[in-house]
Amino acid sequence: MNEHAANDAIGMTATAAAPARTKIEVRGLDFFYNGSRALHGVSMGIPEKQVTAIIGPSGCGKSTLLRVFNRIYAIYPKLNATGEVMLDGENILDPAYSMNRLRSKVGMVFQKPVPFPMTIFENVAYGIRHHEKLGKADMEVRVEQALRSAALWDEVKDKLKRDALGLSGGQQQRLCIARGIALRPEVLLLDEPTSALDPIATGRIEQLVEELKHDYTIVIVTHNMQQAARVSDRTAFMYMGELIEFDATEKIFTKPAKKQTEDYITGRFG
Amino acid sequence: MSTSKDHIIKSYDDELERLTGELVRMGELSVRQLEAAIDVVERRDERAARRVVDNDDAIDQLEQEISHDVVRLLALRAPMAGDLRNVFAALRIAADIERIGDYAANVAKRAIPLSMLAPVAPANGLATLAALAVDEVREVLRAYRNRDAEHARQVWESDARLDEAWTGYFRQLLTYMMEDPRNITPCTHLLFMAKNIERIGDHATNIAENVWFQVTGEQLDKQRNKRDLTSEPQPPIPGKPRT
Repeated sequence: MNEHAANDAIGMTATAAAPARTKIEVRGLDFFYNGSRALHGVSMGIPEKQVTAIIGPSGCGKSTLLRVFNRIYAIYPKLNATGEVMLDGENILDPAYSMNRLRSKVGMVFQKPVPFPMTIFENVAYGIRHHEKLGKADMEVRVEQALRSAALWDEVKDKLKRDALGLSGGQQQRLCIARGIALRPEVLLLDEPTSALDPIATGRIEQLVEELKHDYTIVIVTHNMQQAARVSDRTAFMYMGELIEFDATEKIFTKPAKKQTEDYITGRFG
Repeated sequence: MSTSKDHIIKSYDDELERLTGELVRMGELSVRQLEAAIDVVERRDERAARRVVDNDDAIDQLEQEISHDVVRLLALRAPMAGDLRNVFAALRIAADIERIGDYAANVAKRAIPLSMLAPVAPANGLATLAALAVDEVREVLRAYRNRDAEHARQVWESDARLDEAWTGYFRQLLTYMMEDPRNITPCTHLLFMAKNIERIGDHATNIAENVWFQVTGEQLDKQRNKRDLTSEPQPPIPGKPRT
């Protein structure tokens, strides 16, 4: 019997992935909402130029963890993170780490696409202007590059001056990704980026994630386990604010080490 | 990693249980077929042999049902982790049981021409061989039903006994053929039948490997102690080596 062929069929044969450098090193991270603890001593290494998926039931802390990676929580009072989140060796939780610098390195795309109420072109150019002074021609090149990288250029190149709100949901989400990558960040955070999209638009975003990972470190939070399995290299399972298991996606979905992970991904949770 | 909790969606559990039930039923049928095949050899009953051959259709039918259920489960339930291994192993085990059924039918098929020839002494040895194979298949199916990886590993190891018995029987048949050319036709039939039974043991070890994989997620890949020496270059019968 041909064991190897059969095992390959469900990906049981370990494929030797090139060891990736750690882009974000999380060490003993705790997070508090108004004094109540939402993350409990999370430690993990996010590999560079790979896709890391974070899965877990609602309220497990996955979105909170993602939001710590760009300190978006800092805009709200009474939210506090302790521990270390080292981005290329520097602790981004340190108040001395400039928010502007962090935002230019870490881009984020949210569950619901929220284009600005302006033209398609301006949606992408807006953020660039905030960080850089570019001439008209350079700006046009940068916007085109971003739209091309987000696999949207061909669909919008003839209507750049039109209102972005006229785009379909999937196009709007890709516009938001274009807006995120226009600043040439190193890390891209995706928070449920396809939950409001139909399967075709979802497929396009997933294909895009696969292409973007060659240039960016991507962290994606998703409720859709099949999506985590499809797009990510590594998967983290969180439950009640704790990181239960973090391993190669192939391992998590075929032979997880922890019973809680197995129960969750096989639909036995409850 | 095994998990005992039920799925949130109950019908998913029902479908997985149905799959296990179908496989166990298919396995029991194949064991009964093998026992019946050996019985018709001993009784030299041509009509009963034909019935055994015909009954193989039921096993084939069950295999098709299992394949259908597996495809359905994969498409509609998208099983993960232990469930995925469960479904994957079921498909492979069904294929092994189907082959076991084929081999049992082959034994019965050869029982027909054998019953038309004068009885030969070594025909009795076939039952000993078959008893070992029946035992192996039965035990590995028990291991499957109980999700008992260690039991499966024991069955896997025990196939060496069947290999050894096959090698001995092979030598015995050759000796009979050398003694009297009139034995050649019946002994050749017996040789094929015995080889079929030896192959049943190999499929039982395949099933054991799949049970191991299903339960542990690991491969049972260490070298098994094979005792089938019939293909060794040494002459398998005692006496002067060929020059």
